[in-house]
Amino acid sequence: MDKTLYRLVYLSRNTITGDDDRLQDEIRGILDVSQRNNRQAGVTGALMFNTGCFAQVLEGPHNRIQDTFERIQCDPRHSHVSVLAFDRVEARYFSDWDMAFVGQNAQSIEQFADFNERSSFDAKALDGDTVFELLRIHLDEAERA
Amino acid sequence: MLAESVGASATGVAILDEQDRVVYANAAFAVQLHLPHAAALIDTLALSTWTHSASAQERDALEQQLRDPDASVLDLQVAGSETTTLYLDDRREGRRIVMVSNDWPMPGAPRNVIAQLDALTGLANRATYDEYVQSLSSSKEESPASAVILLDLDRFKQVNDTLGHAIGDSLLILAAKRMRSAIRSDDILIRLGGDEFVILQAHNKQPESAESVAERLVELLQRPFLINGHQVNSGASIGIAVLGQGTREPEDLLKHADLALYEAKRLGRSRYCFFESSLESRALERRNLELDLRRALCLRQFSLLYQPQKSLSDDSISGFEALIRWDHPVRGRVSPVDFIPLAEELGEIHAIGEWVMRTACQQAATWEGEQSVAVNVSPLQFEDDHIVDVVTKALKDSGLAPERLEIEITESTLMNNTEEVMQRLWAIKNMGVGIAMDDFGTGYASLSHLNSFPFSKLKIDKSFIQAEQSPRAKALMDAILTMGTSLGMMTIAEGVETPDQYKELAQGGCNTVQGYYIAKPMAPDTIESFMRSMQTVSITPVG
Repeated sequence: MDKTLYRLVYLSRNTITGDDDRLQDEIRGILDVSQRNNRQAGVTGALMFNTGCFAQVLEGPHNRIQDTFERIQCDPRHSHVSVLAFDRVEARYFSDWDMAFVGQNAQSIEQFADFNERSSFDAKALDGDTVFELLRIHLDEAERA
Repeated sequence: MLAESVGASATGVAILDEQDRVVYANAAFAVQLHLPHAAALIDTLALSTWTHSASAQERDALEQQLRDPDASVLDLQVAGSETTTLYLDDRREGRRIVMVSNDWPMPGAPRNVIAQLDALTGLANRATYDEYVQSLSSSKEESPASAVILLDLDRFKQVNDTLGHAIGDSLLILAAKRMRSAIRSDDILIRLGGDEFVILQAHNKQPESAESVAERLVELLQRPFLINGHQVNSGASIGIAVLGQGTREPEDLLKHADLALYEAKRLGRSRYCFFESSLESRALERRNLELDLRRALCLRQFSLLYQPQKSLSDDSISGFEALIRWDHPVRGRVSPVDFIPLAEELGEIHAIGEWVMRTACQQAATWEGEQSVAVNVSPLQFEDDHIVDVVTKALKDSGLAPERLEIEITESTLMNNTEEVMQRLWAIKNMGVGIAMDDFGTGYASLSHLNSFPFSKLKIDKSFIQAEQSPRAKALMDAILTMGTSLGMMTIAEGVETPDQYKELAQGGCNTVQGYYIAKPMAPDTIESFMRSMQTVSITPVG
């Protein structure tokens, strides 16, 4: 197996409808499934989300990322996928696969607080890279009031 | 290249030599047979390592079966009680392909059918489609509403051309997987060939069922793909035909879906369209027009009319623009607006353009005066060097002085292959022929085009001439005229229809005018009398 590492960064629109409870349930489901799958596949990264959009970073061997991405692509819970970067990289930013709520909305912050507590998500890992800065801006803009 | 895509295929593929030794096996083959590595299979005898639990006797029987040149399937026990079916291709030049897939495309399909498999995607192929249609036709019962959803990947050719066929093949495999994820388990997914796929749906709830699948497929396939380190963007255009809903005969389903697909592409791709009978009549009409157009030249149905161009400096007729007309015995007069784009699409424009050039030069050579003749040349004619020969020959055969010929090109001529087009333009200019920029001010109207070639004349589009009179319109016209003059080009205004327009242009310093106000396009045999009337009756249209 080719050991060359790739990093994929993409954004998509969150199409989960319903109230925050529904969103929370769905997100929990995504977290469980992805953690299991990604660990097996040697894919690390992070999924950031809020009520408006998903932003995901995936790191790993090319074909594993392709498989993961194809699986995600067929998921009806999001739409308007745009790939910001898909490049060979020297090293991983993320040592595990994690998920974090990134939002400003007070009610949502409270609702999703336990996610960020349970998660070892290290936002600092994102500092200093333009693509990640962009991700943050998009996430902020996409949040539904 | 092929090995790479087969290697990535989800269908297990192995190739055997004359002695039934494995010469190739892809990763999926090993996985399907619960074997550790594809590489370890190479050079082993087929079957010897493939079965885990078969007894020596069973193994012998299997080997016997495999040696049978007519055998097409082989049921093999793998991992305990699990049975896998191997599909055997005919032996070709001693070699034989064996395939295995646990994700079989057609539940309940006859299992004699390696011939009904697409090797790349593991999907059913054209033969399956034909069988399905036959089953619909022979069915005595009232068929349930069956839909044929025909899908074509957008930009597939560009992917192949720019990134290579291996990536194109990977795209087909990934796209097929996405399609499968979007359809119901009893829908049948077929690769017809190239980048064309068909989904067969036999539900009563049509067209709703087909529509929801089509909508989903369009959405799914326009999402990016990641292949070989590249982000690849494709998309899907879809045409749908439903039996009993606009399509009566099963044999017509694919044809109708194809017409609907054509419409989806025409409307801008990445969308779906249902078949309607109007699409068929329109296609039929287009086909007839095509046929008529292809023989119009031979049947001498084209003619040229000439519209006078009047010089404002001395009120003389300085030239004529040759305009093509198509008189069809049944259709009547067909407008160039309708047939020139079709001629360009069909490639007929080359023959038609050559005829126009030759005829215009011949007719102009018979005129008594020294008037010029302007001939429109399609951008397509500038795509190869032939245009230079066409002009050379037309001048030589007619004896027309090159200075009396003017070629009118549009900006789009300069959009592609600029360097080669420039060489051809220069070759023609160097003969002494004038080159005019037609329809100036419309289209891309990039001023850099004016700078890229020393045009002899700027032909201002009639939309400027016929625009409502306003200080702004006047300022714009003055600016165009000034620009033309400053760049050393003559200016000509077309579509001049009223005394006011004429007066404005004369005052603005336009060199030449053309339009109904001067004269309508005329047949070649009336030019002589027209010229005489211009000499005897001094018309001074400016009152």
